Amino acid sequence: MFNFFYNSNIFSWIEKLINFINSIFFVLLLAALSFALIFSPPDYLQGDSVRIMYVHVPSAWIGLGSFTCIAFLSILSFIFKIKNFTLITKSIAPIGLMFTCVAIVTGSIWGQPTWGTFWAWDARITSMVILALFYIIFIAVNKLINDETKATKISSLIAAVGLINIPIIKYSVEWWSTLHQPASIKLSGTSTIHPSMLMPLLLMFFVFILYCALIFLMKYKTEIIRIKKKNLKRL
Amino acid sequence: MINNLILMNGYGIFVWASFIITFLACGIFYYKTRKTLKKYEKEFIKEIEELSSKEKKIVLENSKIASKILSSYNKTI
Repeated sequence: MFNFFYNSNIFSWIEKLINFINSIFFVLLLAALSFALIFSPPDYLQGDSVRIMYVHVPSAWIGLGSFTCIAFLSILSFIFKIKNFTLITKSIAPIGLMFTCVAIVTGSIWGQPTWGTFWAWDARITSMVILALFYIIFIAVNKLINDETKATKISSLIAAVGLINIPIIKYSVEWWSTLHQPASIKLSGTSTIHPSMLMPLLLMFFVFILYCALIFLMKYKTEIIRIKKKNLKRL
Repeated sequence: MINNLILMNGYGIFVWASFIITFLACGIFYYKTRKTLKKYEKEFIKEIEELSSKEKKIVLENSKIASKILSSYNKTI
């Protein structure tokens, strides 16, 4: 069973997974877009502007989830010196940064018809900007420091510090009086979103997750090739 | 129907701008990631091809990944 975790086995699985995701992705994307733009109803208060939620919310979830994942893997990699975890965090970080930026930009666009302004230094928005900064520092450290051990140590520290920001983002709408609305979807407790809007939202989230998996697999494969290329003469 | 879809009761500009920005960013990011992967694959294959036949044989025997990269790259070209 543990044979699965050898790099060569992972490598062949990456190929198969990339092909599988490519084969189903566009059908699911088309379905998700149809629901988000046509079949889902407008909101009784926000009207059709609520459709921005279908790209804004999954992007924010991925931004938060990716950083949480990076932070925990970085801490584990720092303690147990698992090189694979470092490769995984390096592959996830650009995806998380892109979706955090998408969440900020689409949120800003949503703000204009809803709040009457594109930007406010609201607790939720500011903490999301701080998250984007943590991503940028994490990526920059890994790119600019040539000594890999040193880069891993510093980036792990940054990820661990950045982890403090995650609950701040999550609970900012409850702790402070903000323009941003409180969460409509709760893991524990009753969600206040109607199923006719929840279904397209979850479908779009699933499509985004597939996209992330595709990018992650390609980035991870690139990292493996980069390492193999570096060690070619040693073989 | 089409007009309603485009205008969305005056919110069309905000909704369409959000969707276009999101999918444009995703498309560009996918393209760049794929390009980098192909570049690394190409460089890796080039370095293997530059090795002597003896060295090449040793590399392919010792590294399953190297032989997999070589075979998958040959499939795509």
